[in-house]
Amino acid sequence: MIAVSIDIGSTWTKGARFSVRPDGLGLERRTVVATTTDNLADGFQAVLEQLVDGPDPLEQIRNGQIRLSYSSSAKGGLAVAALGIVPEITLESARIAAYSAGAKVTKVFSYRLTKSDIRALEASQPDILLFAGGTDGGHVDCVLANADALARSSVGCSIVYAGNRALQDDVALRLADKDLIVVDNVLPEMNLPNPDPAREAMRGIFLEKIVKGKGLDTIIARTGVEPMPTPYAVYEFAKHISKTVPGWSDFILLDMGGATTDVYSAHRETPEPGTILRGLPELEVKRTVEGDLGLRVSALSASEAVRDLVADALGRDADRIAAFDDYIQSVARQPDYLPDDAQGQAFDAILAGACVAQACGRHAGRTTDVYTCDGKVRVQTGRDLTKVKRIIGSGGWLSQSAAFNPAPWLGRMGVDARGRAVLLPTDIEYFRDEQYLFPLLANVARIFPDEAASAGIDLLVAQQ
Amino acid sequence: MTEVNAIAALEKSPAQSIGARTASNGDQALTTVVLGVIGADCHAVGNKILENVFVQAGFKVVNLGVMVSQDEFIDAAIETGAKAILVSSIYGHGEIDCAGFRDRCIERGLDDILLYAGGNLVIGKQDFADVEAKFKAMGYDRVFPSSVDLALPTQLLRQDLGGAR
Repeated sequence: MIAVSIDIGSTWTKGARFSVRPDGLGLERRTVVATTTDNLADGFQAVLEQLVDGPDPLEQIRNGQIRLSYSSSAKGGLAVAALGIVPEITLESARIAAYSAGAKVTKVFSYRLTKSDIRALEASQPDILLFAGGTDGGHVDCVLANADALARSSVGCSIVYAGNRALQDDVALRLADKDLIVVDNVLPEMNLPNPDPAREAMRGIFLEKIVKGKGLDTIIARTGVEPMPTPYAVYEFAKHISKTVPGWSDFILLDMGGATTDVYSAHRETPEPGTILRGLPELEVKRTVEGDLGLRVSALSASEAVRDLVADALGRDADRIAAFDDYIQSVARQPDYLPDDAQGQAFDAILAGACVAQACGRHAGRTTDVYTCDGKVRVQTGRDLTKVKRIIGSGGWLSQSAAFNPAPWLGRMGVDARGRAVLLPTDIEYFRDEQYLFPLLANVARIFPDEAASAGIDLLVAQQ
Repeated sequence: MTEVNAIAALEKSPAQSIGARTASNGDQALTTVVLGVIGADCHAVGNKILENVFVQAGFKVVNLGVMVSQDEFIDAAIETGAKAILVSSIYGHGEIDCAGFRDRCIERGLDDILLYAGGNLVIGKQDFADVEAKFKAMGYDRVFPSSVDLALPTQLLRQDLGGAR
């Protein structure tokens, strides 16, 4: 049996052909072509023809000789605006649900939508608005006010209502003229996150609406196979690795590109005695996306966000910092630029390390010691990744950089600006997805989950 | 209900997960109350007893557990549409932890929420009438000593909610 996997990215359409054997997957061939943004089907077809031998690749797919799976993050992927009430509660639940669906969160709104919020939402034109707020039987006023504000607006994107269940009918009535899907609450009870129904709705919208007009509908018609948003597939893949590959129940996966840095962590929280957990419960697999941290398109915002880390790495030397700033200005204007000189490569490595540190720092939880009448108590919010030893680096730069070691960068995130310890590991084993196969294997995992999970780990290169 | 009876009720109640609890499953018509131990106070036993007593009395209880900040109480009350916040404290620092809570509720839009405080709220042996006056001046609707029969707060809560349930 042959499995072919294709990932249509913003810049490159990548593909791989695997043989499926009783003992696992074997990588047979890999290819890449420039994404044909006018019609994604053209680049897809070119990759397919390079991976499938014989006269009619599509016929081989349709008759089951070739098992095809593919994903797309073209045109920047799935853009979701998240709306909740309290930022740390239903807005956070909505953000986490959107990230787990493979989306990038382009706008967030809390409490009552103001007129300027509505204007910002109208201007930003997300693919989906994820509308949360209130636990089941809980908050009413803001939810109805927000539904009214949306009804009056010209917001034309799909709206997924995943708020207070008691208001589903009222919201549906108010938003009858909008493209609305009503699903179960992302937070039906405090302490009970429920991202899956909203996640599934967002995936459905991706398939039904987002893929249209970009050529993906042509690919579906030709192949009879539906695509996944790439990060959705990778999220599911990470979850499957965590469940099935021995020794890999807990790990961190980094995927850094020119525009964003994605962090996935698989980790089951088991707090030590004497630790008090605060905040929302954590999911076993969590994805966060940092839209301001990337090596090219987001280089300017990244260099601002990681200013201190970069300055430290450059020895606080004013001349070197000025040279670094010039370099960032230049690469932000040329997203395809790859340095061939030592200084450019060193600056890329510094920016990459700082982005990894910052993205992991935002992803990880925090702890602070509180002295009580009963002695010292550790108060923890978010996930404690200090004992997660294994880290995988994936995506263009991380895949290719044999010399990169994230450990010293993570070590510099020790304490945040509020004096809380950042719960990241320092003693790590680093692995590199050298051939950038994770998105491709994530697709194969839809058909051959166990084989793809084993292959994903077997094909990693351990840092020496 | 005496404390002994409350513990008996706790033992009889079925095992439940954390989060909101109700005596009857899935009934969203019940009045929601937010419960927790404020500040750096990590005493959990009384908190569990209170949760069970209020659940048995027919309230939907969102129990935030121990070491809860004012904003966490308020955040939970906003999201759950709670009608009352029940603050407990046993370690003697309640006066510091509870100060400004009413103002914060108003600032955050919870103008009408009922605020109850109870437990060992101050350091040393002070006359409870003085403690009650002090906490009422801070904006709490009801104040209870640690020795209170727990039937009383549930009755008063029903009364203060004025037929809301």
